[in-house]
Amino acid sequence: MPLVVAVNGRNLRPVSAELKEAVAKGPVVVQGAAHLHGLVAGFKTGEVVIGGDCGHYLGVLNDGATIRVKGNAGRYLADNMTTGIVTVEGDAGYGVGQYCYGGTIVVNGSAGDYTAVMNKGATIIIKGNVGDEVATYTLGGDLVVVGNAGKNLGNYLIRGNIYIGGNWESLGHNTLLTEVTQDDLIKLGSYKNQYSIEADPTTFKKIVRLSERPFYKAN
Amino acid sequence: MPPVNGTFCVTLMKDRCINASMPGKCATCFEVCPYEVFALDNESSVRVQNYNACVGCRICAEFCPADAIRINPAESEFLVRSPWTFPQVEEIHYKAQTGQYMLRGFGTMGYAPNFDDITIVPAQIASPAPRDKYREECNMQVVIGEDTCEDPIHLQNPFLFPAMSFGALSREARMALSIGAAQTGILNNTGEGGLLKDETWLIKGYENEERTLKRWEPGGYLVVQWSTGRWGVSADYVRAGDGVEIKIGQGAKPGMGGHLLGAKVTEEIAAVRGIPVGSDALSPCRYYDVQDLEDMKRMVAFIRDVTDYKVPIFFKLGPSRPYEDIKACVEAGADAISIDGLAGGTGASPTIVTQGVGIPTVALIAPAVQALKEMGVHRKVKLFVLGGIRNGLDAYKAMAMGADGVGFGAAAEIAMGCRACMACHTGRCPYGITSQDPKLRARLNPVEAGQQLANFIKATAEEVKILTMLSGHDDIKDLSEEDLRALEFNTAATTGLKLIGYEKRLPWWEH
Repeated sequence: MPLVVAVNGRNLRPVSAELKEAVAKGPVVVQGAAHLHGLVAGFKTGEVVIGGDCGHYLGVLNDGATIRVKGNAGRYLADNMTTGIVTVEGDAGYGVGQYCYGGTIVVNGSAGDYTAVMNKGATIIIKGNVGDEVATYTLGGDLVVVGNAGKNLGNYLIRGNIYIGGNWESLGHNTLLTEVTQDDLIKLGSYKNQYSIEADPTTFKKIVRLSERPFYKAN
Repeated sequence: MPPVNGTFCVTLMKDRCINASMPGKCATCFEVCPYEVFALDNESSVRVQNYNACVGCRICAEFCPADAIRINPAESEFLVRSPWTFPQVEEIHYKAQTGQYMLRGFGTMGYAPNFDDITIVPAQIASPAPRDKYREECNMQVVIGEDTCEDPIHLQNPFLFPAMSFGALSREARMALSIGAAQTGILNNTGEGGLLKDETWLIKGYENEERTLKRWEPGGYLVVQWSTGRWGVSADYVRAGDGVEIKIGQGAKPGMGGHLLGAKVTEEIAAVRGIPVGSDALSPCRYYDVQDLEDMKRMVAFIRDVTDYKVPIFFKLGPSRPYEDIKACVEAGADAISIDGLAGGTGASPTIVTQGVGIPTVALIAPAVQALKEMGVHRKVKLFVLGGIRNGLDAYKAMAMGADGVGFGAAAEIAMGCRACMACHTGRCPYGITSQDPKLRARLNPVEAGQQLANFIKATAEEVKILTMLSGHDDIKDLSEEDLRALEFNTAATTGLKLIGYEKRLPWWEH
């Protein structure tokens, strides 16, 4: 049986202290955390399940923990993660997986605007739809959107890949629409198996950068 | 193409020049100049091929064994042809030919209201008597986070080295700043370019990673910056500092984020920042993960949580609306706030932004202090003033106006050897301070430069002590506006200081 941390309306500091002690002993379930922001911040190990919905900045600076949200996630899920796995069974809000250097995020539902902005190396999988301005200024990593995307997808893409199964309203600056390669199919196939994606990877499109340095010419 | 500058006349005096009499014997100027001002012909004779490219760094004159080089500013042209000076004409030509605007490093050039129009009131018979600088003590300490953090910062002097990133600066310059801070018990800030591992032990005065060889006393403090580009930021990074600074803006380019041009993104920089080699690292102008002040409060809360509520949280502001901005920082949970003025510097920025955006440093302090006083946290939440602070005189004036300390950015670079040639953005700093080129970097010895920084800080601290004590105080915390007078009307109007002769504040400050 996993340990249970009941929030009971407390604020971040005492809940976080209790949670840090609990994860050292084994998997932990947190109950009643919907109003708490910045929970499970900067953990290096541990397994944490959020029993229902969670607040904003869940798993910020995550550095190795495995986090699962049974309900919906607030804004800025797994912000600035370096390694670890964050899974959401419901939907996630604005700005999923911004500034991440690594790790994996899987959202079973949809995600909001500005998802995966400034991704520098994480694998971010959204099984539903995403909003506008997604993957802005991406510098590395993979974003997989199984559903549709809104406006200005991949604006000022520098490096990294966007794979999309559905449609999009518009692409941003410095993007190039291409077909998935054989290597991509192997990668997407492994994501499909690992994270139970139903869509067929061969139907996905791939978006990559156009120019290496879109801002300033060499001088 | 080197930037066309046209601000300097380069004269090679043939009667002294070794090369002029013995071609091939010396070409030092040609070798040290990174801007191709000098050229060698087939007979190895040196000539000035393009004095318009001279940025005025004077490294050629410094290295010339025969003292044969003169670099003179072409000032007369500014007087007789303004506004259509040669650099202005060339700037328009550059835009016309390339379709691009100008970028520049360093800081604001030319006149802006500053501390020079303020004088210090010495103690005489009607005031508490002066203190004796040579035989009495003066408290210079500043404590940050005393009531809010488990590990407050105890600065030995009221100074800090503000955020200058690894990337904007060379590895050697970063190391020198930490060595200088370690010797003077002050604070160094990583800037937003990630953490150089060496700095974590150098800042504590240790020569080696194992921390067995302590060379520099008393040891300083390293603050890690949390910024909009989040370069090299992880849980470990946040925990590596003695404090965390949340950057909102900076003086040179408030509202614009950060610029590190691809030319300076070498393999090492790319590795520390976790980005591709040669890509332009342009930090966003705002936080994608903050949409309002409530989010900012949450950000402070989780940074405190990740650092176990031990270290102080700093905010860094550009020069905008000091009264409102300072209040917002306090509300968000700051332990200290650095506010950077118009003259604040940078590694690279659009020239027009550096020149023409923001409130001058001297005019930020009164509204900032008023905000702190109204919130009941003046001298509790520490205020550091940055942007064009040059010496103990500027520092004293800022502190008497209500700041707790000041930062030395440009002045620190100059203490390392910089001659303010304003070409940091090119990556070809002749002194190896803002360059990533190994050949240029080899010119900067971190230990020597660190010693120069320590010397500069010590001398400046003595200046502050002299002024504090001659005005009748033995603690920098006791300085007040009463120790200052504005020399002319504009300064009295913009700072709220008493005007000389009139001996009162101007009427609209009295309410």
